[in-house]
This record gives sequence, C-alpha cells and structure tokens, in this order.
Amino acid sequence: MIEIKNIEKYYASKGVKHYVLRHVTTSIKKGEFVSIMGPSGAGKSTLLNILGMLEESTYGQYEFMGEDVTTLSERKRIELYRNHIGFVFQAYHLIDEMTVYENIEAPLLYKKIGNSERKSRIADLLDRFNIVAKKDLFPNQLSGGQQQLVGIARALAAQPSLILADEPTGNLQSVQAEEIMELFRKLNKEEGITIIQVTHAEKNAQYGNRILHIADGVVKDDVQVG
Amino acid sequence: MFKLNLKIAWRNLWKNKGYTLINILGLSIGMASCILIFIFIRYQMSFDEGFKNEDKIYRIVSTWDYADGNQFYSQGVPLPLTAAIRNDFSPYIEKVAAIENSAGMIKIKDANGKERLKTIENVFYVEPEFFEVFNYNWLSGNYSSLADPNHVVLSKEMANKFFGDWKTALGKSFSFDDKVNYTVSGVIDDVAENNSVPLKIMLAYKSFNNNRLTNWGSVSSSSESYFKLKPNVNIETLNGPLTSFIKKYYVEKAPGKEGHLFQPLADIHYNEKFGNFSGRIMPKKQLYGLVIIGFFLMITASINFINLATAQAVSRSKEVGVRKVMGSQRSQLIIQFLTETLTIVFISLLIGSVLTEIALPGMQNLFNSKISFSIFQHPIIFLFMILLVVLVSLLAGFYPAMIMSGFNPALAIKNKVIANTGGLGLRKILVVVQFTLTVTLIIGTLVILQQMKYVREQPLGFNSSAIAMIDLPNDSATVSRFSAFKAQLKQISSVEEVSFCRTAPSSQNNNGNTFSYNGGKDADFQVNTKNADEDYLKTFDLKLTAGRNLVKSDTINEYLVNETLLKKLNIQNPNEAIGKIISMGGMKAPIVGVIQDFKNKSLHENIDPILIGSLRTRHYYAAVKLNAKEMMGTMKIVSKIWQQTFPESVYHEAFLDDQIKNYYEGERIMGTLFKVFAGVIIFISFIGLFGLISFVATQRTREVAIRKVLGASTMEIVKMLNGSFLLMVFLANLVAWPLAYLFVSKWLAGFAYRIDISIWPFALAMLISMLITLITVSIRSYWAANANTIDALKYE
Repeated sequence: MIEIKNIEKYYASKGVKHYVLRHVTTSIKKGEFVSIMGPSGAGKSTLLNILGMLEESTYGQYEFMGEDVTTLSERKRIELYRNHIGFVFQAYHLIDEMTVYENIEAPLLYKKIGNSERKSRIADLLDRFNIVAKKDLFPNQLSGGQQQLVGIARALAAQPSLILADEPTGNLQSVQAEEIMELFRKLNKEEGITIIQVTHAEKNAQYGNRILHIADGVVKDDVQVG
Repeated sequence: MFKLNLKIAWRNLWKNKGYTLINILGLSIGMASCILIFIFIRYQMSFDEGFKNEDKIYRIVSTWDYADGNQFYSQGVPLPLTAAIRNDFSPYIEKVAAIENSAGMIKIKDANGKERLKTIENVFYVEPEFFEVFNYNWLSGNYSSLADPNHVVLSKEMANKFFGDWKTALGKSFSFDDKVNYTVSGVIDDVAENNSVPLKIMLAYKSFNNNRLTNWGSVSSSSESYFKLKPNVNIETLNGPLTSFIKKYYVEKAPGKEGHLFQPLADIHYNEKFGNFSGRIMPKKQLYGLVIIGFFLMITASINFINLATAQAVSRSKEVGVRKVMGSQRSQLIIQFLTETLTIVFISLLIGSVLTEIALPGMQNLFNSKISFSIFQHPIIFLFMILLVVLVSLLAGFYPAMIMSGFNPALAIKNKVIANTGGLGLRKILVVVQFTLTVTLIIGTLVILQQMKYVREQPLGFNSSAIAMIDLPNDSATVSRFSAFKAQLKQISSVEEVSFCRTAPSSQNNNGNTFSYNGGKDADFQVNTKNADEDYLKTFDLKLTAGRNLVKSDTINEYLVNETLLKKLNIQNPNEAIGKIISMGGMKAPIVGVIQDFKNKSLHENIDPILIGSLRTRHYYAAVKLNAKEMMGTMKIVSKIWQQTFPESVYHEAFLDDQIKNYYEGERIMGTLFKVFAGVIIFISFIGLFGLISFVATQRTREVAIRKVLGASTMEIVKMLNGSFLLMVFLANLVAWPLAYLFVSKWLAGFAYRIDISIWPFALAMLISMLITLITVSIRSYWAANANTIDALKYE
C-alpha cells in the first residue's frame, strides 16, 4: 500500500542543514498495524505527516497505492483524503462549533454522499461507539475519551482504508487509552483497515503487529510483533 | 452543505458576540448611509427622464463673453429667437417651442358669478409645439387648441383645484390678472416632481404680451426655448448654422458678445451656469462628493471587518486544518468563510434598511425633496442593495477568507500558525487608512463649519434684520394707490421705516443694463440697476460717502451709485462723480450721491457695480422696517392695510433675513451632511479600534499577567498597550493633512469671501482623534490590566 524510498527531510538555516529524517526506506502493506516509536524529536511525527501528505519530503520517493505522491495534484490529494485516509489526532481536533453528529457528518458531506446513506452511516457509527445519546452535544461537553471516540468515528465515516493516528491516546488516562487501542486492534483485525500510529508507549505499540523504531531521523529497528 | 455552512456561521458569530456586534453596528450604519446616498442620487438622476427621444431634446441658452474676460450665462433667450430658429434651422430640427414663465392672479367665479377662488399662481405661456417636443400624457383635450389665444391647458392637480373635478374642467374658464379670460381646452396628467419644467397652468403663447417681443437685446431668464432634433441629425452639424445665425441677428454694437449654446435636456438639472424653471439644480460634483463619502464609510466599515476577522483567524486555524485533512478543497473553505461574511452583511443590510427608513424623513427635510425608499416602486434600489451586499461581502470577506483557507494543515492542526501571518502589518496599514479617512472628514467638517460661521458674521454693508418684503401689485390701476399706502404704513407706531423698491439691497433677482458715463461711449460692463424711492437708504441703513440722497420722485431724474461702479470706471475721488450724467436706454440723469459698497449677492460672488434711481412703475416691493419687539402684531396690521388698499390682489410677505439665509442653502446642506457623516465615520472607526484593542488585550493576557507578577503597575501596562495605536492614529493624521488641505482649499475657492486656511482645524482634528483613541484604548486596556492574574496563568 505504501512504498517509501530514501525519504529525507531537512530544514536549512544559515546554510546549515538540520536533518529531521534521513534515508528512510520502508513499505507498509495493506492490513498492517504499524506503530512508529522513538524519543522526542526523533522525527516520528514528521514521518507520519509525510505519509499523510501534510508535509512534503525534501528528497525521496513515495508511492501510495501505486501512485507517485510527489507529483500528485492538489485535487488528487484531496480525493485521497476523501476516500482513503482518515486522521486521528492527539488533541482530537473536533470542530468546536459542530455537534457530535455534525462532526461525523462533515467528511461525508465533502465526499458528497447522499442524504439517506449519510444518515444510516452516522447512525451506525454512533451506535457502534455507544455515543447515540451524545449526538447533539458539542465537543466541550464531552470527556477526553469520548471526544477521541468521536474523532475516530469521524475518521471512519468515510470508510478509509488507512488510518493515521498521531499519539491518539496521548491526552487520555490509561483506562480510556486501553479502550481506544482495543478499538484500533478490532478495526485492524475485523475490517482490515491499515493503521499507522505514532506513540511513546511500548504498551500501546504492542497492540499492533509491527514497530518502527526511529532515532535521529533514521529507522533503527523494524520489528514484527507477535 | 450551504445550510450547514450557514448554521456553523451562525454559531461562530454567536460565540464571538462582541466582535459580531461591532461588525454589524459598523456595517449597518455604513450601509444605511450608502442606501440613503444612493436613493438620493437616484432621485436626482431621474430628473427630466422618460420623454420620447429625450436625447434629441435641447434647450437654447444664452452666453455673453465680455472684453474684460467676464462671462455671463442665462437660461433664457431673446423673445424673437424662437421664431427665427424655427425659420433658419428648419432643415435640422423637428420642432422648436418658446415657453415663458410668469405669475399672476387667477380668479374663478361660480355659476352665480360670485368669486369662488382667488389665488396667485405660477403660469407658463406655451407654444403648442412644446407638446411635440415633450410628450405628456393627455387626459382630455389636445395641444392644438393652444394655437389660439385665450386657451389654457391645466394639469390634473390644478384642474381639480380650480373646478373640483378635472373631468368637468373642459370648457370652463377663469380670469387672469383681472384682464384676460382663459378657457380650459385640455388637461394633462400631473407632471412629476422630478422635472425641470414644472408645468401646471399652460396659457396660450399667443396671449403673451410684452414690449420685448421683437427686441434681440434683452434676455430674461423667464423666456426659454426648447427644440427637438430631426432623427439622424447630429447636434454638431448645427454649429455652422449657429455661427451665421448669430452674425445675422446680432449687430456688434453691444459691449458683450452674444452667443447661444444648445444644452442637452439631460444637462439641465446639473448645470450651475444656467438655471431652470423648477429652481432645482444639483451640481454633479456634489453628487460625486456624496459618492466618495459613501465609499469612505463602506471602506471604513469593511476595514473593521477585515481587521477583526484576520485577528480571529488564528483561533479558526485548527478548524481549517481538520477540514483540510477531511478532504475539503480550499475553494470550499473560502466559500464557507464568505458565507459567514455574507450572513453578517445580510443581517447588517436588514438593520441598515430599518435605519434608512428612520433617517429618511430627516433626509427629505434636509434636501426638501420627496425621495422614497420603496424597492417596489424603484426596483433599482433593490438591485443596489444586492450589489452592496455582494460588494461588501467580497471587500470585507475575501481577504480574511484567502488568509484563513491558506493555512498549512500540518501547522494549523498543531496550533503553530504564526499569530500574524503578515496580518498585523496589514492590520496596522488598514487602521492608518481608516483613520486617514476619518481625520480627513473631521477636518473637512471643521473647515465647512468655520466658513459657514464666517459667512454668517460677514458684515453685509446694510442692515437686513427685521425687514419684511411685501409684494406690491404693480399695474396702472394700483400704482396710484402707492403713496396713500405708504403714508398709512408709516402711521403704525411699530413700523420704523418704509421704502418702495424693485429689490432689497441683496437679492437673487438682478437686472443688468448697458450704460454710458459722462457722455462717453458704452462702458464695457453692465450695471446692476435697482429702483427705489428716497427712503431706501434709511430703511436699509446704507451709508453715503459723497453727495446726497435721492429726492422724492416717481420717475428717474437722478441716480445713486456705489463705490464699485466708480472703481470700475477708474474714478478715485467719489466727489468727482457727483453731477456727471449717466445715460441708459435713452434715459439721462445725473449722479447725486455715492453709497458705500454693500454685498448685493451671495458671498460666492463679488459686489456688482450698482445704480439706484427712483421709478415708481418698477417698485415691486414694500420694504418695511419693523420694531424687532413687536414684529408679529405689526405684520397683522400691515397685511390688513394691504388688503384694504389692494383688495383685488393676493398678499405675500417674506423676511429679508430668511431670503439671505437661503443663498447658503447648499452650504447648509453640505455642512449638515458632513457633520452627520463625520459623526458616523468617527463612530465606525472607533468601535473598530475598540474591537482591535480588545483582541490585542486578549492575546496578550498572559504577557500582561506575567508582567504584573514581575511588578508592573496598571498604568505601565495601559501605556504599553496604548503606544502603537496612538502612533498609528498620529500617522493617519499626517497622511490626512495634505489630503484634507487639497479638498478644503478647492471647496473654499468657490467663495469670493472666504476664511484663510489655518492650522487650527488640522490641529483640532488631530487632538480629537488622538483623544478619542486614548480614551477608547485606555478603557479597554485598563480592564485587561486589572484582570485577575491567576486566571491568566493557571493554564499552559
């Protein structure tokens, strides 16, 4: 699904290059659950942003589902967002002015999904995540764990094949964190959704089936997990 | 999607109630002002429209180019001109028609021969061709009847007034000035108010009698002539024939060079050089002035919006980032933000419409016009409002929408969007622009008010207070009663002086003549002739500098002149002129006295050379100087005596002070407009400033708290927050000064008597703007400085 070769990213200041990523080469297959681990400043988030096409690499090749991303037009990239990629954020990033229902609905509107189909999909997600009663509340009326559930529901609404999660449990207490990670494992196992997450915690990484250890911008270790 | 956008927009606006209120207040007041300006301009532009082939209709006007460089203009033409044009220009023009404005007393008798109605009305003597130049809506009868004398066509309103019902008016008759009887031969629909020829009563031109009918040397502003070009004829092709026409009819003995122009119908309402029968002129430059003020207001209100929107942009950045990774295109985000702007602008329009409706009576009063805010009657107003909404939405909304939709999603999501994104620099520039406009308007207002005060306090050279000008019916029957009437008036104890005269010393009604001095040839300028009796000087408190007053006489046998006349004749010593003969129009009389100059017109114009001689048949007014304490009671007695003396006529009085005040009607309107709009723009600018300082204060809450913990006093923090705003307003003053200087010096140039531009209005405008800034900003930053320190530091 994802093929990256020799990805490099640096920031030049006063003629000096500060490398964030160096020679990162890897491939991620459909159905994998990959955790990117490493100390602060190692380049984990940058790698995830590049995979999510939020940032561009300075050098290197990136193919997403057989397409060369580096030459992708804005329109094509937006198509990918609409149909294939869902994002989950550490700070949830729900839109404050929208209710739970509207937040989940938003990506479907961009995808131009018909009214009745939209309603049934949202109802299904609300039901699955047990947040039917909360559908008319605004984000600031929910707990952190509930907000993240909505965040995931929103990411799933467009039925993506890939979920990119940047420290999805970073702001949560451990019990809630476990629930979220369980949910990810279930989505990966039962629906075959590819998941790539950045995490600090070894415990969270164990939910997946592969771990990329990054330090100083270089992939140090690539481990398969039982 | 649109519905959702609208919902989100609404929630966002509600969340930031304060900023929304500032935006809506500013925009609605600005839009109301624009709508008012638009409907006023629409009304003014609607003058003289709607005639068939209106672009082929022209008015013939007269010009004189004098050797000394002076030019004179008149809306009128010599009386024989129309017939000559009809004859000489027949290959080019379809129809030409003369129209003569006059007034007189109309008396209507009922079936028993008893007098039912007596009224003085404005009338027009009209040639039947006039109705072929202008097509009016005929309710009954037709215009060909006007080819015969003693016929009259009435407007519906007049027919109803005279005969109860216009349907029965045909064939009925009334007497005019007790001399001629006119029979109604037609009724036309009322001519709309926005017309330069306010036709109401149209008498057959054949009944018009005047000793000037064959005189090419005399032009009266009451004699106009209109024509309609033949189709396919260009107005320029008439230039050649016009040159030979002028050569043919004017002998070059007169001092001025006569000329004529063809004035397009569409120009009549705007051209200040020539008047028109309706007396209403709206110079285009005044309309442009209003358009500019409207623009100023809209720009100021839009700048508020842009400043507050870009200031808030950072707090919206997260939403932008999330929406982008959900698959939103930039254009969709732009549309979303524009929807928000549109919502605000639309709400503002609704409130603005209400404000317009509230302000309309004041506006009608100010301009004395029947303007209406009816979008059904004038759909163009509706179109303008839609255009205004779209334009303001784009002007105010487009830049913030571009900025916000352009956020990089990776940064936006992490809240790393840099607070200004070039915006603070832009905001500063916009604030400077805004205050430049504000300060310019303040300076303009101050100068206009100063000039108005100067004009009011300018010595006129005569005393105009407590003088009533009463119409005198002047014909062979009434003239004989003049002396008895005057004697009766003088017996009233509270009447101080009475003088019979042609006009007051200062008048809009002036009469120019050519003359020669001391047996020489004709002077190369015209003299303004006033006719008045021997009490004129006493009544108006005019001062003699040499010679003596006129002695009592019914015909001209001696003259008074003013100093300007002598100056123009190059006579240094006034005593030198005494006894010299003035000859004018075949009449010769000596100068017996020289009077001090007085302002005989509005202060826009210089003093004319003036000649005063007593001529009873030209005495149209009785000037009655009253005891200021008993004016009301005295006027009642005066009018009673008048009615006893002239029972066949209709009484009319006016106070000289009011007439003089009327010269400056245009300036009064300008002054009021500027005062109102300066107030509006100050208000809009300062609520915008308040919003911006609120934002800055909120943004710097943490910094303020830290500084307070470090020991800064409230005063020091207020000072810190104020500094940059004062600097911006100061800069705006510097930019505004040259702009305002250009504007006011141009405006003042229109006055012959004007103030010197001093530094004071400029300094005062600076003081006002800086002071209000200081107060606005201080209040808001005082709140910020006094906010609870712990609350600000608890988070993060």
